[in-house]
Amino acid sequence: MTLVDLPAVPGLGGLYARGAASTGRLALARRTGSAPVELPATAYRVRGVRASLDHLAAYQRLVGEEASDTLPPGLVHVLGFPLAIALMARTDFPLPMLGMVHLANLVEQRRAIGYDETLDVTASADRLRPHRTGTQVDLVVEAAVDDEVVWRGVSTYLAKGVHLPSDERASDDERAPFEPPLPTGQWQLAADTGRRYAAVSGDRNPIHLSPLTAKAFGFPRTIAHGMYTAARLLADAGRGRGDAFVWSVDFVKPVLLPATVATSVRHRPGGGFDLAAWHPRSGKPHALASVAPPPLTPPNRRPDRPSAAWSTAPPPATPPLLRLSATRPGATPGSSTIQPRSRSTIRRAGRPTIQPRPRRCSGYP
Amino acid sequence: MALKNTATPSAPRRALVLGGNRIPFARSGGAYAHASNQDMLTAALEGLVARYGLQGERIGEVAAGAVLKHSRDFNLTREAVLGSSLDATTPAYDVQQACATGLETLVGLSNKIRLGQLESAIAGGVDSTSDAPIVVTDRLRRALLDLSRARTAGQKLAALGRIRPKDLAPVAPSTGEPRTHLSMGEHQALTTAQWGITREAQDELALASHQRLAAAWDAGFFDDLVTPYRGQTVDGNLRRDTSLEKLAGLKPTFGTRLDAPATMTAGNSTPLTDGASTVLLGSEEWAATRGLTPLAAVVDAEAGAVDFVHGEDGLLMAPVFAVPRLLARNGLTLADLEYVEIHEAFASTVLATLAAWESDEFGRTRLGLDGAFGTVDRARLNVHGSSLAAGHPFAATGGRIVATIAKELHLRKQRDGGTPRALVSICAAGGLGLTAILEAA
Repeated sequence: MTLVDLPAVPGLGGLYARGAASTGRLALARRTGSAPVELPATAYRVRGVRASLDHLAAYQRLVGEEASDTLPPGLVHVLGFPLAIALMARTDFPLPMLGMVHLANLVEQRRAIGYDETLDVTASADRLRPHRTGTQVDLVVEAAVDDEVVWRGVSTYLAKGVHLPSDERASDDERAPFEPPLPTGQWQLAADTGRRYAAVSGDRNPIHLSPLTAKAFGFPRTIAHGMYTAARLLADAGRGRGDAFVWSVDFVKPVLLPATVATSVRHRPGGGFDLAAWHPRSGKPHALASVAPPPLTPPNRRPDRPSAAWSTAPPPATPPLLRLSATRPGATPGSSTIQPRSRSTIRRAGRPTIQPRPRRCSGYP
Repeated sequence: MALKNTATPSAPRRALVLGGNRIPFARSGGAYAHASNQDMLTAALEGLVARYGLQGERIGEVAAGAVLKHSRDFNLTREAVLGSSLDATTPAYDVQQACATGLETLVGLSNKIRLGQLESAIAGGVDSTSDAPIVVTDRLRRALLDLSRARTAGQKLAALGRIRPKDLAPVAPSTGEPRTHLSMGEHQALTTAQWGITREAQDELALASHQRLAAAWDAGFFDDLVTPYRGQTVDGNLRRDTSLEKLAGLKPTFGTRLDAPATMTAGNSTPLTDGASTVLLGSEEWAATRGLTPLAAVVDAEAGAVDFVHGEDGLLMAPVFAVPRLLARNGLTLADLEYVEIHEAFASTVLATLAAWESDEFGRTRLGLDGAFGTVDRARLNVHGSSLAAGHPFAATGGRIVATIAKELHLRKQRDGGTPRALVSICAAGGLGLTAILEAA
């Protein structure tokens, strides 16, 4: 794995333009059989990332977090998101960035992160693998303070209809259908919910911005960002989640805006919460999630193990009761990663390649 | 939880309910459509002053509150005192504990009397849904405040530029829970489904409430408890002509999106109401000096709360937990109570409360008892009707119930002797509940 230090978090607008161009090139290359079939062995890193107080307050207000001086885990995702996009926009990335859908998201937060802490954020791609309807990949983002990884996120994306040459088609998983519990709450999401999250997160994917742009990408109406619904569910769980936790989300059906969403936030045996958001009339789930205490066994300390080798599996200790598999047939996006915008900024990136520094933390089993 | 049967807390002296006065409760948009909280509280307070000859009197302290309160009413109670004919040196303070506000003023003032800090006090509460404080949206408010702080033209433009047309719409207060965004009715619909409370049982309870309140009005029971105001002479929500057939014909308004049948209607849910109530409290010595007849003593009180946010219990179920603790502390059981007043936020709130207390499993697993907590004799429940018939101006309900049941306790003691007791139980937003025991004085 080659670690590339970028001087700053790249702008999403330029990345989307680059990703769109890559997507086109990839489509052509696939016809000639010259498309890349492996993930780039490159990790991007930006050191010294900090959230501003205004950004923190706007994010907390939007998703309903208490106005504490610590970073909600969803905001750390927002801070690292452009690095993951930068990887997907590379010409040697094997999947087309345009039209990728966010299937699942897993965050391990080791401790509370103060807004004034300086984060070194690293992104890599991992586990390229078949899905029943295409190919999926994990984008792994780590945030470290003084070489201690305090936050680690794994975002699973699906490229629908893209099958890599060596693929065997994944088979259907057996899974229990979602049966809505009695709700514990509801959200009234206004038509501008996507625009408001876009303003705070920077993720201005057109499917979230207006009915017209959403229709252009095959959605009947504007859809809410998956990470917005995920963050609201986590906020509804409240402070009882503690400072260290594993937060796991599966995105099942997109929320079409405006919307009334039924929610359930319930204690789970062994600690933490089961979280669900669903359509109150049809009972179809939008997002199924859990937040749980970290596994009881402390993470192994393996100084020889590079961070990209972290486990990407959901926490096995207490699997969510309501969890659906990420490979649900017909899964649709919580978020995707398209938007051609202004000029690229990634060319400013420095090119010196250095080996990743050994990390003390390794993945949970 | 384990319940300890500890001794009744020793009180140095008794805090006595000496009387009460309220204005008739009116339906939202009715007779009090243009009366403010301060107007109605002052009217109820002035009625109490007139009834008990307190003109020019310096009362120890007056506490009252409103749930829907404009920020300009930061000293609502003090302003009502200044607008009354009480001595202007009468201190006052505001209390706010959602629908438990009125009862909490009574509990706090009673404790001050018991401690010897006060000789006399007036507890009260008021609410107007007709004259509710309308505010601007949070986004407009923040933009306007930033605008007022802006120094440069650029900052001012930036603040103004954040304002969107939809931010300009006025915002009326709602009964929605801030954390769950479900209205109180939708929350109660969940509890109704959870406990399987039937439509028929709810309609029967609603009918009994109207019949009993009508009977009390007809018997002149409220003649010395209510002062007409703005042309309203009886409780505006009271429907003398209602029947099970009429109630059964109403369409469900809450829980229509649940799998369980929707059973909650406008008939078995309390309507939005305007009104105010007051209760006169005092020590034995003060009552004797004034020549006032004590009606009841405030024995003890217990607050409770439930975790409705995470679906552990229904929003309005806190009294289910508070009452067993309260009775155990006083060495009492439900059978020791001649009267049980359970605020009828919804008919199903009362019925779910009774069902929880009658459940063997709930008693064992949630209340830490050997079995079911007990059964409430329906003949002792809300004997003169309650909020379904009278209406429910949030903070005014505590004073209505306490004054009504204190008078009833006094009459009962005069008639039958002994020391009859009453339980008062009020559920409130935020998963709160406040309960108290009164006994005839």
